[in-house]
Amino acid sequence: MLTALLLIAFAFLVHRRFLSGYAPPPPGLAVLHRGEATFIDAAAEVLFPGGGSLPVAGIEAQLPHYVDRHLAALPRAQRFQIRALLLLFEHGTLLFPGDEPGGRRRFSSLSAAARVSILARLSKHPNRHARLVFMALRAVLTLGYLGHPGNLCALGVAPFEIQPGVSDAELLFPRIGGLVSSIRYEPEDRTDPALLGPLDPHGPRHRAYARAHPGRR
Amino acid sequence: MPSDPGPDAASEDWLVAARERVRVFAQYEGAFREEADVVVVGSGPCGAVAAYELAAAGHDVILLEEGPPFTVRDFELDGNLSMTRTMREGGLRMTRGTVMPTMQAIALGGGSLVNSAICVRPPDAVFDRWATGFDLERTNRAELDPHFDAIATFLGIAPTPDEVQGRRNLLFRDACNALGVSSEPIERSVRGCRGSGECFTGCRSRAKQSMDVSYVPAALRAGARVFTSVQVQQVHSIGRRVTGVSGQVVAPFSRGSRRGRSHHFRIDARAIVLAAGCTATPVLLKQSGDLANASGQVGENLQFHPGLAIAGIFPEPVDPQFGATQGYQSLAFLEEGFKLETLWAPPPLLSMRFPGFGEELLSHFAEIPQMAVWDAIVSANRSLGRVRARWRSLDPVLHWAIHPEDVAILRRSLKVIAELFFAAGARKILPGVQGIAEVMTSLDQARILDSDAVRPENLVLGGNHVFCTTRMHGDPTRGVVDEDGRCHDLENLYIADTGIFPQCPSVNPMLTGMALARRQARLLGQRL
Ligand SMILES: Cc1cc2nc3c(=O)[nH]c(=O)nc-3n(C[C@H](O)[C@H](O)[C@H](O)COP(=O)(O)OP(=O)(O)OC[C@H]3O[C@@H](n4cnc5c(N)ncnc54)[C@H](O)[C@@H]3O)c2cc1C
Ligand code: SF4
Repeated sequence: MLTALLLIAFAFLVHRRFLSGYAPPPPGLAVLHRGEATFIDAAAEVLFPGGGSLPVAGIEAQLPHYVDRHLAALPRAQRFQIRALLLLFEHGTLLFPGDEPGGRRRFSSLSAAARVSILARLSKHPNRHARLVFMALRAVLTLGYLGHPGNLCALGVAPFEIQPGVSDAELLFPRIGGLVSSIRYEPEDRTDPALLGPLDPHGPRHRAYARAHPGRR
Repeated sequence: MPSDPGPDAASEDWLVAARERVRVFAQYEGAFREEADVVVVGSGPCGAVAAYELAAAGHDVILLEEGPPFTVRDFELDGNLSMTRTMREGGLRMTRGTVMPTMQAIALGGGSLVNSAICVRPPDAVFDRWATGFDLERTNRAELDPHFDAIATFLGIAPTPDEVQGRRNLLFRDACNALGVSSEPIERSVRGCRGSGECFTGCRSRAKQSMDVSYVPAALRAGARVFTSVQVQQVHSIGRRVTGVSGQVVAPFSRGSRRGRSHHFRIDARAIVLAAGCTATPVLLKQSGDLANASGQVGENLQFHPGLAIAGIFPEPVDPQFGATQGYQSLAFLEEGFKLETLWAPPPLLSMRFPGFGEELLSHFAEIPQMAVWDAIVSANRSLGRVRARWRSLDPVLHWAIHPEDVAILRRSLKVIAELFFAAGARKILPGVQGIAEVMTSLDQARILDSDAVRPENLVLGGNHVFCTTRMHGDPTRGVVDEDGRCHDLENLYIADTGIFPQCPSVNPMLTGMALARRQARLLGQRL
């Protein structure tokens, strides 16, 4: 009886800590659950604050959607590693609390100042593994944040608008998933990039990037 | 023997017949069995050259590739998402021991689809070391130069022209000039580069002569059959002869999951060329009953060219997105054990190592328009590792440890890159080494880079040049293949990927791998 009660109490605590109290996830996520999406936004807010030199702030960059796309495309083992990293950060406050009252709450429930202090501590931690964990999280989120079309365009480093070439590969192979019979190119469609010459360093950027504006992906 | 055709050599009649010899994922409807004179496993630079040479010599060849063919419209511009499509393990493969990311492509064309097309011939000194250390008699520049020449003609290998260097590459040239260090435009297998700086995600202009636009079409034209999305899982043998390979069809981007595998296949052949890549071929041999391993050397001797990079920030805009991905190099330090190059990649990948977070990190991002990145690759001949098979998987487990003497070379290369940046007028550098200053603004400050303060575990390394796991050796007890790439233990099994290098080649490996594959395929063609 006592064991059953203890188990129920334990299950309740686990549920409260790990699952309950999260806002509903943004629509369109395939892999991430609501807790992970909430954590990502909470981390992005302090890793990439707004009002700086880039037009899109971390919280506006729709990072949960980016990370979701990334995870969905990864093999299971790598997906597991990244999800474990998110979990570690969100609940690592149990062992390494934020320096404010209630600092053992989930990372995403802490004030921005407390989140900043946790990241600052980890980023300068004497233990190399702690620093590596911080760098891993920063890397996962930087890929989506800096890769946001609005930010890349603002920095002038978005991919160029380029006339897609037609080579023997386009003549011989269909698009991935298609049949060879679906190939529409003929030998006269072949292009010669040498005739087009070098790109203009300040030339137009790929459409999908150029029309980007803050918050859009 | 055939002469190498230029890309426009044939009339266009070949196209209809060639399309019939291609198989892609959507076409497989059930289990199948085929026969050929030679089956080549892996369509990277080495396998593609071997397949072409053998087909052009009149042999019936089947080239098998696990990845799909990518057309321009299949390329993904986001560098990170692109890696999940083109690289094994989603581009997140790491060595154990000294932790280092290392990538292998999974695509028709192998590494050539996503690499920078750098083509460099190793100097005589490299071949001298190979000859004396590994009982080799015919693996030298004199013997290989005709093969290098033929490949160079076929792929249009030429120095990168100034018009597409872009400022970040030319600053490197200026820095070398200022310090009296020799440098040169990099020779690449490219026709009509436009300077888009996106070799890593696939060349949308189709200027880069990756295997899928060059040697694989040439092999098809010469009569080879090319089956994509097929994973070879076993090499079959009887006594001292191999008889064929078998495996399964795999869905594109199924990421090694069992659900992605479907129909079984078997190909019987008179000879087999394994060109699955330095980390995949040894696993395949081990999963095939420890084949070709009487020497115990299969999967051993793993070597890399570990590389590191420094970002330099200049006072004025560099417009770094424009320019050949890797356009300039210096071979001046090869004898000291390192080669210097310029580098570009999608900025989110380059900036993952920037220090700090919040305002500090954003201020570094803001300087990307003024940034150039220069790297060193190191001839780490003393740093060894091994490849092991994972349980029920063809993904390798890589153990590797950097040797203290190679750490010294890495440190020295860091310092030289810093000197070059300041000579070119950089305002500051981000050395990307933990445990020391994250930003350096003077040469004085940068001197620490060549000191013990740079701890090996704090270096951020990358290693995409991989070698020696099925090494060539004149002595059958000390190597897996002989000088012709034939396995010492088996009469008709050949290996043609960078795993057969006896040591690291000190320069970018693709061209050497192709030259060895060409020589080997011509010999095999005569023996069949
Ligand atoms: C990002 C990057 C940039 C690089 N830049 C350069 C450069 O500029 N110059 C240079 O010289 N080198 C460069 N390299 C290294 C170079 O690309 C490799 O050394 C070269 O591709 C090796 O050729 P390979 O034929 O031995 O193997 P790979 O290119 O790895 O080809 C092996 C092929 O075999 C296939 N395969 C594997 N297992 C199986 C199986 N079981 N069944 C069927 N198929 C299988 C793989 O999918 C792959 O396509 C770079 C590498 C990377 C990753
Ligand atoms: S720099 Fe751009 S145009 Fe030139 S080869 Fe690379 S991807 Fe192609």
